[in-house]
Amino acid sequence: MRDITKVRNIGISAHIDSGKTTLTERILFYTQRIHAIHEVRGKDGVGAKMDSMELERERGITICSAATYCDWKDHAINIIDTPGHVDFTIEVERALRVLDGAVLILCSVGGVQSQSITVNRQMTRYRVPRVAFINKCDRTGANPDRVIKQLREKLALNAVPIQVPMGLEGDMQGLIDLVKMQAVYFDGENGDVIRIEEIPAQYKEDCDIKREEMLDAVSMFSDELMEAVLEGTPTEEMIMAAIRTGTLSMEFTPVMMGTAYKNKGVQLLLDAVVSYLPCPTDVDNFALDLDHEEAEVKVSNNSSDPLLALAFKLEDGRYGQLTYVRTYQGTLKKGDSIVNVRTGKKAKVGRLVRMHSDDMEEIDEAGSGDIVALFGIDCASGDTFTSGSDYNFSMTSMHVPAPVISLSITPVDNKAQDNMSKALNRFTKEDPTFKTFVDPETMETIISGMGELHLDVYVERMKREYKAEVTVGAPQVAYRETITQKAEFNYTHKKQTGGSGQFGRVAGFIEPMEDGEYEFVDKIVGGSVPREYIPSCDKGFQKCLDKGALVGAHVTGVRCTITDGASHAVDSSDIAFQLAAIGGFKEAYGKAKPMIMEPIMKVAAEGPSEFQGSIMGSLNQRRGIIIGTNEEDAYTVIEAEVPLSEMFGYSTDLRSLTQGKAEFTMEFAAYRQVPKSVAEELIAKALKNKKQ
Amino acid sequence: MLKKDLIEKNPIRHLKGESDAKESSRMGLVMAQAGAGKTALLVQIALDTLLNDKQVVHVSVGQSLDKTKLWYDDMFKDIAEGCKLENAGEIHDAIMRNRMIITFNESKFSLAKLEERLHDLVQQNVIKPSCMVVDGFDFVKTERTVLEGLREMAKAMDLQIWFSAVCSDEATTAGVPAPCKGMEDLFNTVVLLQPVPKSDCLELKIIKGSAAVSKCGKLLKLDPQTLMIREDCK
Repeated sequence: MRDITKVRNIGISAHIDSGKTTLTERILFYTQRIHAIHEVRGKDGVGAKMDSMELERERGITICSAATYCDWKDHAINIIDTPGHVDFTIEVERALRVLDGAVLILCSVGGVQSQSITVNRQMTRYRVPRVAFINKCDRTGANPDRVIKQLREKLALNAVPIQVPMGLEGDMQGLIDLVKMQAVYFDGENGDVIRIEEIPAQYKEDCDIKREEMLDAVSMFSDELMEAVLEGTPTEEMIMAAIRTGTLSMEFTPVMMGTAYKNKGVQLLLDAVVSYLPCPTDVDNFALDLDHEEAEVKVSNNSSDPLLALAFKLEDGRYGQLTYVRTYQGTLKKGDSIVNVRTGKKAKVGRLVRMHSDDMEEIDEAGSGDIVALFGIDCASGDTFTSGSDYNFSMTSMHVPAPVISLSITPVDNKAQDNMSKALNRFTKEDPTFKTFVDPETMETIISGMGELHLDVYVERMKREYKAEVTVGAPQVAYRETITQKAEFNYTHKKQTGGSGQFGRVAGFIEPMEDGEYEFVDKIVGGSVPREYIPSCDKGFQKCLDKGALVGAHVTGVRCTITDGASHAVDSSDIAFQLAAIGGFKEAYGKAKPMIMEPIMKVAAEGPSEFQGSIMGSLNQRRGIIIGTNEEDAYTVIEAEVPLSEMFGYSTDLRSLTQGKAEFTMEFAAYRQVPKSVAEELIAKALKNKKQ
Repeated sequence: MLKKDLIEKNPIRHLKGESDAKESSRMGLVMAQAGAGKTALLVQIALDTLLNDKQVVHVSVGQSLDKTKLWYDDMFKDIAEGCKLENAGEIHDAIMRNRMIITFNESKFSLAKLEERLHDLVQQNVIKPSCMVVDGFDFVKTERTVLEGLREMAKAMDLQIWFSAVCSDEATTAGVPAPCKGMEDLFNTVVLLQPVPKSDCLELKIIKGSAAVSKCGKLLKLDPQTLMIREDCK
């Protein structure tokens, strides 16, 4: 089993234009290539045959896997695919949880753009140490210094270059490593032959200045280094150790440069991943103790402790259904029996594999901190596996937030219908916040999720990945109903016209409940309602919660108490009491001053300061309440609480208001009562729909 | 208890500036050792304005929007529970709409940005504040001219501005303690918040400005949780 300190679980994050694909392909190429070259030379002394053109075409190198494994200088690197869209979806959270460190790619011309800002904020939120790579230094207009300035100003990162480029644009020759103070050239057709030389005279002065700046910044993380710098004797090891300390604490971001396309700098980046990004034990990870109200417990990372593994992605790969798993503790062995904490079901570990860029490696076991894939395990994304049912810990909260918005989707023809079903099946397994069902009244397929964007992404994926053309209906906000005061009921359900009849009477009251969705309280004395029918009353009440009387929305926050009742020796039954409870509830509901609630979203809109006024105005217009603003160096973030129903189409509005320079994110905040005018509108609409 | 009773118990009732300063535009300063309750007192002052159906801007340097918001929610909850306030939920929602928070990262306060932001807010009809509280202002490193600028802004916008400042242990010397020594002229009211030894009260000592007739004279006793005036302190 590999040494956990030599494992790197990283994600590569970039906005669309920075060359993530090429860089990732190059990384896989060099890590596999060097490996292959060694092997080829070692085995039969035959030199590498593939030229770069063939390599480009070689479909073997793929980046579609959720986690791709590669080797670099005796370290195991798992590259985790970070989702393209950084909205607040569970998928993003899961990817960020599973990775320990990240490489932030920027274009040397485009620099820091709005997506990079969002991605960076997510990474800070999940405490992910990162290194930066300024790519495309061979492009006209490449300006790494300007990008570094942007990293400092726009992302508030302590970004310090640890390299100096030798030439830029078409003239790029190689890179100077400021830690080792040597010039590095990338020879060979694919840049895979590294040549080390003295720093050329024309760069010496600039290098000395940049090195001093680097040492200044880095010595803050090491007293030993600081002393050595003052004495003029800093060693390579000291500098690297200090850079690592700074990077892991997230107070320092080393910046590297290069051009993936022209094969310069990638190997040095891999060296940096190994030297400066964390191994699994460098990062604190927490599990939730399900026996103690999800209290946080630090995982031990010890391979001999009980197993704790998180299934973070399901994939319909080339080889069948794969479940990607990250182990946080313990060892996953082939043939072992593991338990899915969410379902309680046992599963046997059949085949255990590691995904390489072009093939799959069967393995017998995976230790703590590793990422591997399992075949033939039926589970949902986000499920935790442990070694036994007495080890009740989960890596993610069992609480799945309820969807706040739904859409109807209609396939255009039968073929689309089939593909759509396949797609929905797959998506719901991967994402528990994405739900689908068929509306019994309209027979339409409804999908529901956490936001307009969340659903848009799935509709898009349905079209692209499953070729399912669907037409999409208007988004429906998930309203809720609740009551505001106590109301009594005393209802008799009677059908005794001859033959077997039905009889049941229930009396009690319903009242609003602060914390919680629903509660049933049994205060029956003297058996006025027979014990065996009390659960039926509970069932009846719960049936009423699905569709409230005001607008047919889900009813929440109600406590139903039964205090009295009556039964008939022959005609009382489970159904009779269910119907009696339903009648009682309906009787009391109108008297309980019910109200409609709407989901309110916490919206964070960020953009250049000059647009703040118009952004605030736009949120105000949408019934938003501005909570406040946070002044960052180059931009302002406005936080507001806005009803979800008012947020549709906001991204287009925001874009046009701010020349595309502002962005927003939103997440569910709370349910709040709708204003009177909105309530009236909703009730009128519901009545109209009922009539139709 | 009703809303109007809460207003009565707010310590700000007893803090008046110097006689020549216009009540509606003045600068006040709350000083105390770290952890004594300066932020709480500022929030209490802001709540007073909100309860009087006026609008507040809360400027926080070095604290996030969420944490600042939590101060208000928590303090209001404590007060509402302690005083058994009627219709607490409704009052809370109504008054929080009148409060806007502007935060700056640690040591990144900028008068120019603040002015720009306030200007936007007023222009967009989002808020027209009559009171501003500034928490976390760095009196040690910021130039006096910034404070002068703020005083000008207070006059121009007809705004009361209250600041908090951390002072060190030996705040028993007469006059305004460091780091605000030499700046008294910029403020109409300066108060010192101290825990009372061997009791669970806080006392509010007025260093500059005058107190209206109060039962406790110049030393107001405050409840450490709600920062409201307490008559039953020993």
